[in-house]
Amino acid sequence: MAATYKPVIWNRHKRIYDLALVSGIALYLTVFVGVGMAMPDSANTSIEILLISALGACAFFMIHVVLAIGPLARLSTKFLPLLYNRRHVGVALFLVALSHGAYATIWYHGFGVLNPIVSLFVSNPRYDAINAFPFESLGVAALAILFLLASTSHDFWLNNLSPAVWKTLHMLIYPAYGAMVMHVLLGAASGHGGSPLYVWATAGGFALISGLHIAAALVQTSRDRAVTKQKDGDWIDAGPFADIPEKRARIVAIGGTSIAIFRYDGKLSAISNFCAHQMGPLGEGCLIDGLVTCPWHGWQYDPATGRSPAPYTEKVETFAVRIKDGHVFVNAIPNAKGTPVAPTMIG
Amino acid sequence: MGSIEFVEMILNGVALFAAAGGIFALGFLSLGLTRIDRGASGAGVWFRLLIVPGLVALWPLMLIRWIVGGQPHGD
Repeated sequence: MAATYKPVIWNRHKRIYDLALVSGIALYLTVFVGVGMAMPDSANTSIEILLISALGACAFFMIHVVLAIGPLARLSTKFLPLLYNRRHVGVALFLVALSHGAYATIWYHGFGVLNPIVSLFVSNPRYDAINAFPFESLGVAALAILFLLASTSHDFWLNNLSPAVWKTLHMLIYPAYGAMVMHVLLGAASGHGGSPLYVWATAGGFALISGLHIAAALVQTSRDRAVTKQKDGDWIDAGPFADIPEKRARIVAIGGTSIAIFRYDGKLSAISNFCAHQMGPLGEGCLIDGLVTCPWHGWQYDPATGRSPAPYTEKVETFAVRIKDGHVFVNAIPNAKGTPVAPTMIG
Repeated sequence: MGSIEFVEMILNGVALFAAAGGIFALGFLSLGLTRIDRGASGAGVWFRLLIVPGLVALWPLMLIRWIVGGQPHGD
């Protein structure tokens, strides 16, 4: 949320986050290579090969972290600080994966007569054999996707591709994950990538990511169902307003629409639950200084107008609200983004 | 056509696409950026460098956006 773009809007949290990220990567690589050198069969390998493996394993671990942060943040707000700067993990993931790919290409293909990249693709044509499949091509495919995601991670791209297109583009992280899984498994099947430990670690990681996504979806569905949705024409009964905590919201999901009804200062207002930034869940945020604050990246909106405070210009849809017999009703027909709606007074 | 020639042809195509993207990025950063996005007004050189890889990869999309005249950021 910035009037003028900056490469990174640094703050203390981001500095600590990035310091932990870089330290974690350095520690991972050091421990991996150190343990590898200490193994009994270390005489059969070299530090270069260990480093290539370490970079690959680190990238594979990092994509699990990237994929786990989203569902973890849905399951518990304690994980929201991880979500806040997730795109830095994504860019770091690409750089680590690029290092792995570049180093491996130079090491295994850089000393022949062919262009190393050409050699990478033609040295093994056995696409019909599982135990000799040219798994490198899957790594290249994953790296290409990660490049696309890392290069479009700045808000400039979010604004210029549109949030919907940007979000769709960044869902390519899942095909990239699939390509990395197959890269590791087929690499192990063809004798690269070391021990069966890789296969078990990959299976465990896949089970973990799948389980977290399923659990987050079930919890979200449960939250949506928890709200009674009796209809009165276009008006939806969102339950007793007394249960909505001060400066917090109740989320009502109706078809593809999700509405966040906020209670604050003896008033009720409703806006879209989707932040204009990355469609973050505004209803899971709270009011800070009178403004709805997205829990993902801190973008803010006036609850009565759906507009970001000047000089920012982002807007979200607003909805009419009324009270009847102690229940709050919200009109399912959205107003145009940024349309002011007078708050409904309680009592 | 052998596999080596085929791979070389694909790589040449990728290199050509990237070179066109590089040329586009130069023009876009000089003339088009602030026209399609008000948020880029006054943005520094590091921001401009940061979006170059994306421009090289997605230059056809951004060329269309530049030609049709995108709405400024936030409107």
